[in-house]
Amino acid sequence: MSAEVSPQPKAMTRPKRWTDEVEEAYRFQIAGYRDEIEYQAFNGKVADRWPDNGYIKKLQRKDGYFYYYNRKRECEDKDVHKCKMYSY
Amino acid sequence: MSLVAAHPKHTSKGGAQADGFSTKSRLKGVKVTGPPDAGAFRERPAKPTSFRKFYERGDFPIALEHDTKGNKIAWKVEIEKLDYHHYLPLFFDGLCETTHPYEFFARQGVHDMLEHGGPKILPVIPQLIIPIKNALSTRNRKVICTTLKVLQHLVVSADMVGEALVPYYRQILPILNIFKNHNLNSGDGIDYSQQKRENIGDLIQETLEAFERHGGEDAFINIKYMVPTYESCMLN
Repeated sequence: MSAEVSPQPKAMTRPKRWTDEVEEAYRFQIAGYRDEIEYQAFNGKVADRWPDNGYIKKLQRKDGYFYYYNRKRECEDKDVHKCKMYSY
Repeated sequence: MSLVAAHPKHTSKGGAQADGFSTKSRLKGVKVTGPPDAGAFRERPAKPTSFRKFYERGDFPIALEHDTKGNKIAWKVEIEKLDYHHYLPLFFDGLCETTHPYEFFARQGVHDMLEHGGPKILPVIPQLIIPIKNALSTRNRKVICTTLKVLQHLVVSADMVGEALVPYYRQILPILNIFKNHNLNSGDGIDYSQQKRENIGDLIQETLEAFERHGGEDAFINIKYMVPTYESCMLN
C-alpha cells in the first residue's frame, strides 16, 4: 500500500478522439488512478477485466470502495478530452 | 352512474348538459355528456418504498456520495459477495421512486447488480416480480421507461432468465398492453443512462421482442395471450 513506489510519468497528452486506450485511461481516472501502472503499484494486483473485450470490469478505489464498469464503451465523446494519456 | 343529476348544467355556449341516462338527458336541447374517464392511464402514486427506508437508514453497501464523477455508485462491498436474495429485490423496489437520490441509486444499483451478477440472478427472479409489477402499475411514464429498460437488461443478464420470466407474463404484461400504443414522447427532462430512449410505445415493442427472443419456444404464445396486438419478430 504505497503510492510512492509507482514510477512517475514523464509526459502527458490529451486524446483527440476515442480509442480503446482512451477508454482504458478513462476508467482508471474515474476511480482516481493515473493508469494501470499506478493501480498495480497501489493495490498490488491486476485490475479485473471483461473476458470478451478486455475492458476494465472492476476497480478498487484508494478508499477501498469499488467501481464497476459496463461491458460496452463508457467514455462518451464529451469526456474524451478530459482523459490524460501518460507516457513513461 | 348518478341518478340525482337533477339540474341540467349550463355550458358557456348556453346549451344545457346532462349526464347520460339521467332524466334530464331526455329533455329537448340538452347535450348529453360522455362518460367519465375510467382512469386506465391515470398515474397512481406509489406507496413509500422499503428501498427509501433502507437507503435512509444506511443499510445499503453503497457510498452515498452525491458528487460522483460520471454516473457511478461506489460499492463498499464487492458485488460478487452480496446476498442477491436480499439486495436485488430491494433495489428493484426502488424503481418506483421518482425523486433524486433514490431514483438514481435504485436504477444504477439494479444496473450494476444485473451487469455483474451472472448466475446469481436466476434464483431471485420470483422475488423480483412484485417490485416490477408495482413499478409498472404506478403508470408514471418515467418509471415505466426505467422499468422497461431494466426488463430488457434483465432478460440478457444471464442464461435462462428470459425463460424464467415466462410464467410471470400475466403479472408484467397487462400494463405493457395498455401503453403499447403510446407512441408519444414522455417528456424532455431526464437523460438516464446514455441513450435518450423515452418513447414508451417503442420501448414496449423492444421489450416484448427481447422477451420473445430470450424466452424460449413458449414465449411468443404467452406474450400474444396477454398482448393480442403483438406480432412475432421471429416467426415472420
